[in-house]
Amino acid sequence: MAQALIQPIITLGQLGGFGGRVLRSFVAGRWSGQEFMAQAATVASRCFLPVVLTIGPFGAVIGVQGMVILDLFSAHRLLSSLLSIFMIRELGPVLAAVLVAAQAGSSFAAELGAMRIKEEIDATAVMAVDPIGWHVVPRVLAMALVVPLLTTVANAFGVLGGYAVAVGLYGQSHGVFVAHLAENIGVYDLVASAFKGLVYGLLVGLIATWKGYNASGGAEGVGRAVNDTVVASVMFILVFNYLLSSLLFGSSS
Amino acid sequence: MTGLPEVFLRRVGGYGIFFAACVRSTFQHGVRWDRVLEESQKLGVRAFPVLATMAVFVGTNLAIQGHAAFSALGAESLVGMFVALGGVREVCPLLAATMVAAKAGTEMTAQLAVMRTKEQIDALEVMAVDPRAELVTPSLLAIMLVLPALTIISIALALVAATGVAVFQLGLQRGDFVDYMMSNITVFDLAAATLKSVFFGAIIATVSGYFGFYSERGPRGVGQATNQAVVVMCIVCISVNFALTSILYG
Repeated sequence: MAQALIQPIITLGQLGGFGGRVLRSFVAGRWSGQEFMAQAATVASRCFLPVVLTIGPFGAVIGVQGMVILDLFSAHRLLSSLLSIFMIRELGPVLAAVLVAAQAGSSFAAELGAMRIKEEIDATAVMAVDPIGWHVVPRVLAMALVVPLLTTVANAFGVLGGYAVAVGLYGQSHGVFVAHLAENIGVYDLVASAFKGLVYGLLVGLIATWKGYNASGGAEGVGRAVNDTVVASVMFILVFNYLLSSLLFGSSS
Repeated sequence: MTGLPEVFLRRVGGYGIFFAACVRSTFQHGVRWDRVLEESQKLGVRAFPVLATMAVFVGTNLAIQGHAAFSALGAESLVGMFVALGGVREVCPLLAATMVAAKAGTEMTAQLAVMRTKEQIDALEVMAVDPRAELVTPSLLAIMLVLPALTIISIALALVAATGVAVFQLGLQRGDFVDYMMSNITVFDLAAATLKSVFFGAIIATVSGYFGFYSERGPRGVGQATNQAVVVMCIVCISVNFALTSILYG
């Protein structure tokens, strides 16, 4: 029981230590901008489709449930304003980050884990190249750049999914949907949404590279690192989402 | 014509054949119930701490965003309803499914991929043991059995956490909030959530089984298989969720 309570604290400490090493390599400039751009392009191109394919149906589900519920109050016109609140403030950033964790985060963990067990990381260090700067920093930065962008894409496609259901399926008029869309949100919400994406991107990047970098135990170890990455990322995202939501939107005034 | 569409079609076809083969081998060889129980116990016990943490934080966020949305409309009493409907009908079944997909699903994929790499699956076939009946079917039944239970638990935890945030952080009236919340949860909703999670369980187990079973050999193959499995599971589960919601509530 004590072990179960202490273990998360130890894990946090190790992750923090790893983050410190990443930060030091980043500040010292021991990383390649070219590699960073290449990783960012990979993450963006590989995650775009999964994000769009998940967030669209999610927006559609909100459309279905929202229409049915708002029907009770004959308040269909509120659908788009509620949809945009939930999509932009919560679901867009969280779903984009979870999908990026599942797709790109797990592949980072697999790549670095495979390098670790093939002793390629040790080889890098022997050649007096900083392995953290060379392998880890570009990946973390790529996540920090791409997740906010994908969050914005996700927001748009989520609202489109809701639009398809509301206007296409339930016959709400296009004008009503569009007119109420931005009723309760503003530029602040879009920026806050992208900021959430940035934080989650950094988190996912750090967790994935940390798990992969410290993988051990052959092919099974790589599998375990990949698995742990997804679970830990989702958990951290949800915890930070609560903190960030309270901070950014949670004034009880 | 090669490229993405062809790969996609080949995958879908391969998955269909795999699914059919699993069902057939189950009927041919019977079910190893002792393995099913063992798997369910492992799955339930291991998934619980992570799932509980997530359910709590999903509950808190439902309350915060419900409050942010409905207090703008001057309808704070609707927060309880929002938490109940959103949590029970949509978020908790999907959350439990995502969690089991990320933990048990990827583990199953990795395990099968490692066995494929080490040629243990071929060894089973050589010994005339059907590897699907031996390795996939018990996990499939275990996930379909345990996921509904996990869903119900996560619903309970999310509702409690939402109440905590609503009362202590947002300063809503506890009685009002709980009344509104509970009066909007029906037996039908809970049954629908359970039904959804049975579907999700079947998807998770067969997709992760398929990707592990036909993974490429070597550490790269193991990583790739787990990676693809999670993403495909997420996409399929959310699409199926849309279909089920439309059928059940639309």
